[in-house]
This record gives sequence, C-alpha cells and structure tokens, in this order.
Amino acid sequence: MRSPGALLLFLLLPAALAFKQSDFKICSQSGFCRRGRALAARAQESSSSWHSPYSIDPPELSPRQPGFTTSVHSSIHPNVKFVLDVMIHEEGIVRVRMDEENGLRKRYNEAAQWALIGEPPLSNDVLWTTKGGKAKAVYGPKKDMELVVDFNPLKITLFRGGKEQVTLNGRGLLHMEHFRTKEDPKLAEHIESEGQSVLQVNPAAWFEGDTQDAFWEETFSTWTDTKPKGPESLSLDITFPNHAHVYGIPQHATNLSLPSTTGPTAKYTDPFRLYNADVFEYLSDSPTSLYGSIPLMHAHSATSTVAVFNALASETWIDIAHVEKGGVETHWISESGILDVFLLPGPTPTDVFTQYAHLTGTAPLPAQWSLGYHQCRWNYVSSDDVRGVQNRFDDEDFPVDVFWLDIEYAEDHKYFMWNKKTFPDPVEMTKDVEAVERKMVVIVDPHLKRSNDYPVYKRASELGVLVKPKSGEGEYEGWCWPGSSSWIDFFHPGSWDFWISLFKTNTIDGQWSWTESTNNIGVWNDMNEPSVFNGPEITMPKDNVHYGGWEHRDVHNINGMLFANHTFQAAEARTDPPRRPFVLTRAFYAGSQRFGAMWTGDNLGTWEHMTIGVKMVLANGVGGMPFAGSDVGGFFGNPEPEMLVRWYVVGAFSPFFRAHAHIDTKRREPYLLEEPYKSLLRDILRLRYSMLPVWYTAFRETSESGVPILRPQYVMFPGDEAGFGIDDQYYIGSSGLLVKPVTQKGIKEVSVYIAEDQVYYDYFTNHAHRTKNRHITLPANLDQIPLLIRGGSIIPTRERPRRSSPLMKHDPFTLRIALDTSGNAHGEVYLDDGETYGYGRGDVVWRVFGAESTKGKGKGIGTVRISSADLAARTQVGAYDPKNEFARSVGDVRVEKLIVLGLGKKPLNVVLDGGRELEWEFASEGGVLVVKDPAVRVVDDWAIVVKLE
Amino acid sequence: MHPWLLLALALPSLALDKTHGVPPSLVSKYVPSTRGSHQTWTCLDGSKEITWSAVNDDYCDCRDGSDEPGTSACPNNKFYCRNEGHIGAIIQSSRVNDGLCEQECCDGSDEPSGVCPNTCQEVGVEYRKKTEAERKLRKTGSKIRSSYIAYAHKEQKRLEALVADLAKEIETREKEVERLRDIAERAESLSAAELERKKQSPLYQSLLVHHTALKSLQKEHKKHLEREKALGDILTSLRADYNPNYQDMAVLEAVRGWEALAGLPHINDVRKGDDGEADTTADKPKTEDDVEDEGLWNAAKIEKELDQLLKTDHVTLLLEYDQLVGPASAQSLLLDISAYLPDALLPSYHSFRDSLLSALSVFGIGRGGTFDSSAESNRARVALSDAEHSLKLTQDEQRTANEDLLDLFDPEGFGPEGEWKKLDGMCLSKDTGEYTYEVCLFDEAKQIPNSGGSGFSLGKFSSWNKAAGPGELEYYTRQHYTQGAKCWNGPHRSVELVFTCGTENTLLTVVELEKCEYQITGTTPALCRPLEDEHTKDEL
Repeated sequence: MRSPGALLLFLLLPAALAFKQSDFKICSQSGFCRRGRALAARAQESSSSWHSPYSIDPPELSPRQPGFTTSVHSSIHPNVKFVLDVMIHEEGIVRVRMDEENGLRKRYNEAAQWALIGEPPLSNDVLWTTKGGKAKAVYGPKKDMELVVDFNPLKITLFRGGKEQVTLNGRGLLHMEHFRTKEDPKLAEHIESEGQSVLQVNPAAWFEGDTQDAFWEETFSTWTDTKPKGPESLSLDITFPNHAHVYGIPQHATNLSLPSTTGPTAKYTDPFRLYNADVFEYLSDSPTSLYGSIPLMHAHSATSTVAVFNALASETWIDIAHVEKGGVETHWISESGILDVFLLPGPTPTDVFTQYAHLTGTAPLPAQWSLGYHQCRWNYVSSDDVRGVQNRFDDEDFPVDVFWLDIEYAEDHKYFMWNKKTFPDPVEMTKDVEAVERKMVVIVDPHLKRSNDYPVYKRASELGVLVKPKSGEGEYEGWCWPGSSSWIDFFHPGSWDFWISLFKTNTIDGQWSWTESTNNIGVWNDMNEPSVFNGPEITMPKDNVHYGGWEHRDVHNINGMLFANHTFQAAEARTDPPRRPFVLTRAFYAGSQRFGAMWTGDNLGTWEHMTIGVKMVLANGVGGMPFAGSDVGGFFGNPEPEMLVRWYVVGAFSPFFRAHAHIDTKRREPYLLEEPYKSLLRDILRLRYSMLPVWYTAFRETSESGVPILRPQYVMFPGDEAGFGIDDQYYIGSSGLLVKPVTQKGIKEVSVYIAEDQVYYDYFTNHAHRTKNRHITLPANLDQIPLLIRGGSIIPTRERPRRSSPLMKHDPFTLRIALDTSGNAHGEVYLDDGETYGYGRGDVVWRVFGAESTKGKGKGIGTVRISSADLAARTQVGAYDPKNEFARSVGDVRVEKLIVLGLGKKPLNVVLDGGRELEWEFASEGGVLVVKDPAVRVVDDWAIVVKLE
Repeated sequence: MHPWLLLALALPSLALDKTHGVPPSLVSKYVPSTRGSHQTWTCLDGSKEITWSAVNDDYCDCRDGSDEPGTSACPNNKFYCRNEGHIGAIIQSSRVNDGLCEQECCDGSDEPSGVCPNTCQEVGVEYRKKTEAERKLRKTGSKIRSSYIAYAHKEQKRLEALVADLAKEIETREKEVERLRDIAERAESLSAAELERKKQSPLYQSLLVHHTALKSLQKEHKKHLEREKALGDILTSLRADYNPNYQDMAVLEAVRGWEALAGLPHINDVRKGDDGEADTTADKPKTEDDVEDEGLWNAAKIEKELDQLLKTDHVTLLLEYDQLVGPASAQSLLLDISAYLPDALLPSYHSFRDSLLSALSVFGIGRGGTFDSSAESNRARVALSDAEHSLKLTQDEQRTANEDLLDLFDPEGFGPEGEWKKLDGMCLSKDTGEYTYEVCLFDEAKQIPNSGGSGFSLGKFSSWNKAAGPGELEYYTRQHYTQGAKCWNGPHRSVELVFTCGTENTLLTVVELEKCEYQITGTTPALCRPLEDEHTKDEL
C-alpha cells in the first residue's frame, strides 16, 4: 500500500497531461507572425490612405506568350531588387512567383519542386494586352477568363465572366523582407544614446513599423533560434471577393468551412497555423497547427469555386476574415521562402480538384487489402501476442486485414531490429498472418538511435546523410523514443539509395538490410514532423542545416513528406516487378497523397474528437489527400462501449479504417466487448467488407481525377448554399451512398440534409424517403447507421463474411439498384488484382451497370432493363483486352442477387435478356424486388428485363 | 407470402450433394417432400418452404441459413467436414469456398473438389500421436498429482494431531496462567498504593510525557519514511520507464531532480554503459555522516533500538530504581560487600545476606515491606504476562492449524482433493533477460530487475479463475495475484497465472499485455487430473 500522499499525486496527474499551449507558439510569440499581423493592423488603421509600396516595371509582352518576367520595386527599399514572374498554364492555372534579385542570400525556392509532379505545361491560348498601367490576359475555352496585373501598386486579379475571383495584394499586405546585414548593436546603442540629436527617421516605418521586432535572435521558452539569415518573412493578402466560404489548409481541428480568425466575426484569436507539429493530446477545436500542412485553400460560392495553392514550406500563419460583402479576406504570413502562388480557376469544386491533381498528383490506387480493417495497438507485445489476437479474430469471425506493430517490437527502439526476447521469430509470425492473406504493418520512424551497434545509424553516419546542427558540421543530436537520436536528411540524395537498400529482404553487397521481414510488410512512418522531444515546439531547431545548406525553417513542412516518399519508393523496390506498397504517414504536405495514407494523429477517446475526426478527414480530402482516417476508439483513453461502436461506424465509413490505442489503455479489440456491443462491431466490420467494391471503385476514380472519396455537400451540390457549412455527413465517391455517422452520446435519431428533389433509400430497410423541408429523419439507435442510397444509384457489394479481403476474390456480387424518380439508375464496379501495377497494362474488370425504364400506360414504369457493360473498353485503359489475365482469373465470379428499389408495383416477370426467366420475390410493402441468382458473370455484358405491364 | 416463382431453371449449378456440410445429427432432416409434381424442402426453422433444388445451390434462401449447409452463401452458418480416417470437424461457413484449405477439414471438403488434397490419413496419424503424447503426459502428471493428494492427506493427519496436541497444551497453559494470575493479583494488592504514590513523582510524570512524545515522533517518522519510500519508488520507476511521448519537460525535470537528490547518474548515461551505477554506491555513505557528532543516534540505531526503548516497562523501572538506589543509608557496606568477597564465597554470602536482610526487615531496620512486596508483585506480573503470551502463541498456532485444515480440501482453497497444498509457498521463477519474475504460489508474485535493485510486488494471491466455478478444471487453470505495487500513471500491478498440466512445476512465459498487467504461463502436475475423469465427463 502506498501512502495517501502518493495517491494524491496520481489524482493530480491527468490535468497535467493535457494539451500544453505553452509548448507551442501563438502568433504573438513568433516574431514574423507578430510583424505580419502588425502590418495588417497598420493597413487597417490607415484604411483608404494605405497603398502597397510594391510596383513593377511594365513588362515587355508579345500578345501570345504565356506570361512574363519583370522587375519589382519597393518604394520603402528602393535599393533592393525583386523579380516577378507571372505565367498562365494549361487549364487556366496561373502561377505567380516573386523573389529577391541578387540579394545578400538566397530565399528557399524548392518547395514547389517537391510538391509538383512536374513542370506544369504552359498555356498556348492566351492573349495579352497592356493598357492604362495594367497588363491583361484573356484566355480559356470560352475566353471568359481574365488575369489583370496592375503595375503600381502591384495587384494581380483573376476574373471569370467579368467577376472578380481572386486578388493578390489587393489589400496591400504583400511584403517580402529583404536580406540585410545585422547592425552592430553597439553602434545602434550609440545612436540611441545620442538621443534627439540623431533622431533616426525611418522612412519605411509607416509600412514596416519602427521597431526591428525579433529580426535576428528569437527565444521561445528555453530555446533560442539564432536566425543567422535575419528577417526574410513573406506576407501576402489573398482575397476572394465573391466567395463566402473557404475550405482546406489542413491540418486543423476545426470546421470544414473555415471560420474567421480576425475581424468582427472571428471565432479564434490566433491565425490558422501550418507548422507540422507533434501535438500531445491536441484540442478538438483550435487553429493550432497539427501534424501536417497543405497550403491549399478552396473558395466557394453558389456560382464559382476557385483555389489558391501557396507553395511554401516554412512556418505559415493564415488569418481569415469573412467580410460583410460576402467575400473572404485572407492573409498569409510565412517565415521564409519565395512567393510561389498557384491560382486554380475552377469554376466548380470538381474542376479545382482536377486542376490541383494535375499539379501535385493524385493518390495512387492503393493495395486493395489496405482498404480493409486495420488492427493496431501500442503495442502487441510479442509474436505470440500477435498470433493470439489473430486467433481471437478468427474464432469470433471478425474480418480483419492488417495487424500492426508499434515501436516496442524494436530492440531499444532501433527500427528494423526486432526485440528477439519478445519477437524471436518475426518472419514466421508475419507468415502466420499472411497465411490467411492478411498483412502486417510495422513502424519505422525517422529518428535513429545514435549507437554504433545499430547498422542503420552507423551507415547513415558514414554516408554523412544525417541532419546537421546549426554549425553545419557533424550530426544534430536530439531526444526521441530511443533516447539520443539523429535524423536522416531525406533532402540529401545520398540517403535515397541507402534507404531503398534497407528494405531489401535479401542481402545485397554485404550491406545490412531488413532480411527479417517479408515483401508484403507495410510501413508506418510516424513522428516525421519531425518530433523531437527536447526540441523547440517538440520539433527540430529551425537553424538546423539540411542538404544544400538550407535551414530547417525553410523545409520544415516538407520534411515529413520526403520520409514517406522514400519509404514508399523503398517498399515498392522490394520486388521486381514492383507491387503497390502501403505507407502510413503522420506528417504530410502538398503532394503527400502520392505516397500513401495519413491519419489524424494522436486523438483522444472523446466524442468531441470523434466529431472533429470526421471533419478533419473531409478537409484532408479537400487538400488532395483522400486516403485518410482517424484512430478508431481514440488513441488516448478508454472509450465506453457506446462510443466505441459509434467510432467503428466512423471508421467503416472512412477511407482508412484503423483502430489504435495507447499503451496505457485497456485492451479494446472488438471481440473483447460484451454483448450486444460485440455483435454490433462484427456487423460493422462485415458491412465495411461488403462495401469494399464501392470503396475500391471510389479509389480508382480519385486516383485519376483527384476528386476526394468523401464528398461533402459543397462538392456534391456546389450550387446549394444551405449545404456549404455542412461537415457531418458526406457521400462516398460517385456511388450515391450518403452517410451521417453519429458522433454524440445517447442519440436516437438524426436528421440528414438532402439538397435535391430526389428519392433516397435507407440502405438497411430499403425504405424510400422523399424529402420534406430538405431533411430526412432517420432512426439512429446504437444498432442503426444513418446510411442512404441516392435514387439513381447502383451499389455493388459482396455480402459473404470472410476473414480477410483477398479471400473475397471469388465471391459473388449483390447489386442494389436504387431507381431515381424517373426509374433510372447507374453505378460502377472496378476490380483488379489489388496488388500489382497490372491495371496500368489493362489487367482490369471495370463495369458500368445501368437501369433504364420505359414508361407504362399510366404514370408508372412499364419495363426496367438492368444491364452491365464494359466501361474499361469504353475508356480504353492501357492495352485493355476484355479477356485479360485478371478478367480470366475472376471469370467464375457471378452476380448472385439483384435488389431493385423503387419499382412501385409487382412485376409480371423477370427475364434474362434473350433467355430464361429468373426466380424473384417481391415485397409489396416496401416495393422491393429481389431477383435470385441470375447466374450472370461480372465480366460479361448482360441485361435483365423486369416487366411490370 | 410470395414464394419463389420457379421457372425454367438452368443455373450452371455446383451440383453439390444436398447433405454436403451437414453434421451427422441433422442428415436425416435433409430429405425432400413431394408437393405435386415437384420436390420441396422446409427451412429448419420452419420459416419458409423452398424447392429442393434450392438446397446447397449457393444462394441463401432461409433466414436461418439452413438451406446452405455446404456453401458460404448464408452468413454465420456452420459447415461440417466428415474427415473420414480422422474425426469430423465443424468450421464457420466464412471459411467455405474462400480459396484456402482449412486445417480442420483434412478431407478438403471446404473447397470445391480438386482444390484441397485429402490429408486425413496423415492428419489422423499425427493427431493420434499427439493425443497419445498428451495422454502420457497426463498420466505421468496425474501420478505426481496423486502424490500431492497423498501429501495433503498426510498434512491432514499431521494437522489433526497437531491440533489435538495443542489443545492439551492450551489446557495446561491455561491452568498455569490461572495460577500465576492469582499470585500476581495478591502481590499487586499489597504494592498498588505505594506504587501510586511513586508515580506522582515529577520525574516519572515527565518520563511518561517523553515516552508519549517519542512514540508520536516515531510514528510520524515512520509515516514519513514510508512516504519517502513511496515517493522514491514513484520517482525511480518514473526515471526507469518515463515515457518521452509525454513530451513533457516537467517530467524530465522531475527525473533530473530525483537523480540529483538521490545521487544517481542520469538514466541515459546508465543505459549507455553500466559503469554509472558503480560510482554511485561509492558516493552514497557520505550523506549519512554529518549526524553523528553530538552523540545523537544515527538512522541505523534508531531503526534498531528505538522500538526496544519504547517497550520499556516504566513501572518496572520505577521499582528497579528503588531497588537500586533506595534510601541513601542503604548504600551500605552490607549491600556492597560482595565486591570484596572472593568468588568462591559468593553463594554462601548471598544466602547469608538474604536471611540477614529479611531479619532486618522484620525488625523494621531494613527498607521494609514496600520494597519487598513491589519487587514480588513485579516478578509475578512478568511471569503472568510471559505465561499469557505463551498461551496466545499456542492458541494462534492452533487456529492456524485449524484454518489450514479447512483450506486443505476446500474447492476454493487447495482444491477438492487438496492437490494444491503441496505447492503452497513454492516459489517458481522465470528469467526474461531484463527481469526475473518470481511467483510464490498462494503468496506473492514479484518482478526483480536482473541489474539489481529491489523490484516490485506484482500482487498477492487473491483468487482462482472467477470465470469458472469452484471444482471445475477451468477454475484451477488461472490464479490471480492482485494489488501489487502501483504503476506510475497506471493501475496496481497484477498477475494472471495460467497453468496447464505438465510434469513439472515451472513458469514458461511472461507477457505484459496491458500496462502493469502481467500474464504468466506455466505448468504443474496439480492440474493433471487422471484420464478416467475425462471419460466420465464425456459420458455426461
């Protein structure tokens, strides 16, 4: 027994463990943010008399060129030279770049290079004119796009149909702090002491302010940032004059439609911040930065969507103000880097997604198994523990595809190195998991234990590819899981082949590699913000030095993406031909979607975190990174069974579906719950598996178009203003499924918003809902999921419970045919082998299902013709051949059941087109027709005719 | 009700046998009824009548899934594989036609024919080998177990004899106590008044106050020591295990502060190499030196002698004081003459002195009756309390023996046959590299760091497997040790000890499945019930 004093100490602990604001900066603690906000405040005060000090030389323009480069002058620093580059690219994307010319030092200019998939092609469809101090470009298929560049003061405005869409520097907040030499402090003191006699008049004070606020050295808590390059921040105002909603800039725990941070409508006092950070027990409603940063913002109105991609990698603060006229003013304040802004012209959300995808790429088609259920915990403690968990899943008949190992598998947290006391047989364990077509995902973090008996560290050290301290010499040493650690500098090209070599399962050239693994193991890249336990704001000092001499401050937000990027490449290179790797990352940046999935980090097991997790995943989709999810159950805490059941629904309707738990929590694998919760979880898992064809088909679409998998109202119905603020319900791909997960305690029913005059069917009861006041009320007891099928959709599912998703390969399909108000419907299913890149060669089955009605004599339907056609042949994927290898391997897969919703009356007969009559059953109360086993093959063209009259 | 409309059916049917996957007990239910010109079949739950051809046609017609015993078409079904040459097995329908050959179905009937080989011959042989090995193990184990039971019976006899002996002894001792109490009471009645008077002395009163003060101080001191130890333990485990994920510089500060205070090297340096620890032991004694100058007691002396001091019987002291000092006059040659006598003469001198003194007192010359009667009463009191103590010890011994007797064959104690008694207090241990885990059965489980140090209690024996009933085999497969040392930011440590039948008492594995909750597996012959037991069970 312990003394009461000790008990008291424990009682006090939980409060001490929550989010610590003091660990992270607010704007007023960050010199450049303070300066940026002060600039905006001065502009606000001077109002009409305020003007930007920046102007440009009229460019030399020939009418058909895609853009121009010209000099920029600053009236407050006439001796400093800047250069502006304005280019119009295909699809009407405008790129604006500005840099200091021949400055004392060089601004970081490589952010876009890491984000983009290539140089965006220039437009050849532009007509420039120069008149009255402006250059104007007209372009676009309808010639309704106009880019107007005002020379003095510099202002750039994008118009569509004569209407202002985006304006840069319209409020005159553009400011690029030039490089300068540090004044001798003694000299400055001397001047000050001379007092009035040498009163320095700073002619720039009206704009820059009259103090040199944190120009050089800056201290936060116990850390001092030496800032050897001095001030180099960048301020830019971006205004969307006719758009009332802005979305994007993940990752923040906030509403999808971003609230104001400044002005009379402000919800928060601080700007949104983008600075990848490992935030312990983060708040569920806050503008603070989290693990990832995508500087992409959508602006939306009922008639137009545009977006801005601000390719910055340094710490960035974004003020947002919804203004009375119905527009949004934003102010972006970044610590370093050139100005490199892309304007995406829209005009619809879908267009913007595609335009952004053409710049930064899409999420590739993932390994199909990675859409199954992932079971994780910190930690499964031994190989036998893993086997035991797998056995329990099997005994209880819960489907699962992936078992995860967190950091404790690694001896002394030396990643790749198994702790042989607890994992004596890692390969055999992995093979035991793979025997049921499941996979293992193992964590590999970017910090390396500084120990010469760790071959990974030793080699990285020999190669000189570790991040350097501010001196630029030696190895930066920080504290993380293994204790004293160093970090691989993935900006260093010398690290790339080295990293690839580590993942080889066979030894090559005598170099150490992960021979104790299999080619199927997925990799979890955590802590890649990077998280440094004893660093400022739990990350690296900004004056650390990366390859090429760039400071960490310049590249911080990209750092985590490079880690996942090279892990993805390394995992892919394990086999020849390569197979689709699975990599999960916590930190991310624009372009990270190309390298795998993300999750919303270390959330809490609370209803608030469940709620915000849904919004964060939606926002990530807007940011072009759709393969996302939040940890089911919450990382911290012990969720009550009701919460856990609801959270599994959230997970089952997220692209990435993983349950995870902290080491201090009770075990909560789904089979451990009491009844009725246990059976509810089994049903939810089986529901997810039955819908894998829907998810996989949705992933195929996003891998091509960049349109997110989870689609909020504004994406689905861009003209319906009432839906713009809705972020607690969403559609899944183009499937027509609409879900509203319950994320509150004790809920009995929910109201789902419907934007259109269309029939929606309850997925489970088949009940047809016609909207009243644009809302459908659905029962939502704990065993009920508010899930609707939009009239006009055909949903392909596989309803047979299996242990893992690859085992469903030969299972038959069920088609839910939800007729719209005019008796028609369509849907798709996309299939391939799920693990190779054979799809690029046309090894696919991609079908479109249709239902077309003819009118009957009266008001109703006469006949419905349900058919299947080859969509791959229509769109010509690769060298597509309907009899390709994959199609042949699933030649035995049939459609076992049709469920036709919305017929209205009992059919006379159901006939396979050109053949026999089929068995069917009709329930008159719901009007649901079930056609029994038409025995048609999924790879074939077929038609089934339902005759009602 | 809308029955399936049966029309020209031309399915590329799997043509499965209608009883494919049906367990032997239900085979008789899979026969068609004739309804006019066609054959029908009714779902086993009676919910629906379907065509006979719809049985095992890979489409789920019945709500209870009974029409698809041999396919995966209905969820939550069971599939029976006959496994001829081996023994039949039941698997979940989710395993049927999934492309994998199930181990349980050695006949390969879970997949379409031709996919899985029939391995029942080999599997059967292997299985019989395995069962035989298990049977042998059980047999050997159960022999050892019988010796445990025999031991329990011997224990029973020994304890019964002991109880009887103790009963006799108690009787004797009770009489002795009675006798001594009588003497003491009589002696005390003589001296009580005089003693009362002496107790009024300011010296005695002050002594009492000092005594109370010292006792209070000791109590407080102990409380503080315990508290300091508890805090030390918390900080030590914090230092050893603190979790950098909390990313809390305050925790780091606390660790560093503790290290400075306790004179420990930084944990990080210790982990780097093992030389750190050696240094600290050399440094340690310094801190304790300062106290000793003024003749004050050091911690060791306080620990050793304070209790003794506090147990001092002041009344006795008071009386002894009188005996020693007496009135000044009594400090006479007569009393001290022994110092001048050669040793050889001492005994005779003493008897002479005693008789002389008693004579003196008779004549009122000596120190008189008070002196004698007080000493007498004191001696009597000591003798009484000694006798009472001995009686209590004997009674306790008897009670323990009685309790042990009760436990011996208690299903919730050492098992209905007393088979666990032999293991009472037996300590088993398992070295896992970093720690050695020790379980002293029915007592306490401990975690001892191999690098040295005291380790933690993982809990005391609290119960058998609560999920089963006392007397059932399952009940004895698990022991729970609970309320061990508390974890930092976690629960009290606890152990679930999982036993299987084996010929040795040994621990096999240790895992910490949840923070501070350990699962230890091991074997013991105590669980090897004789084989006949199983047969009788099966018949039931």
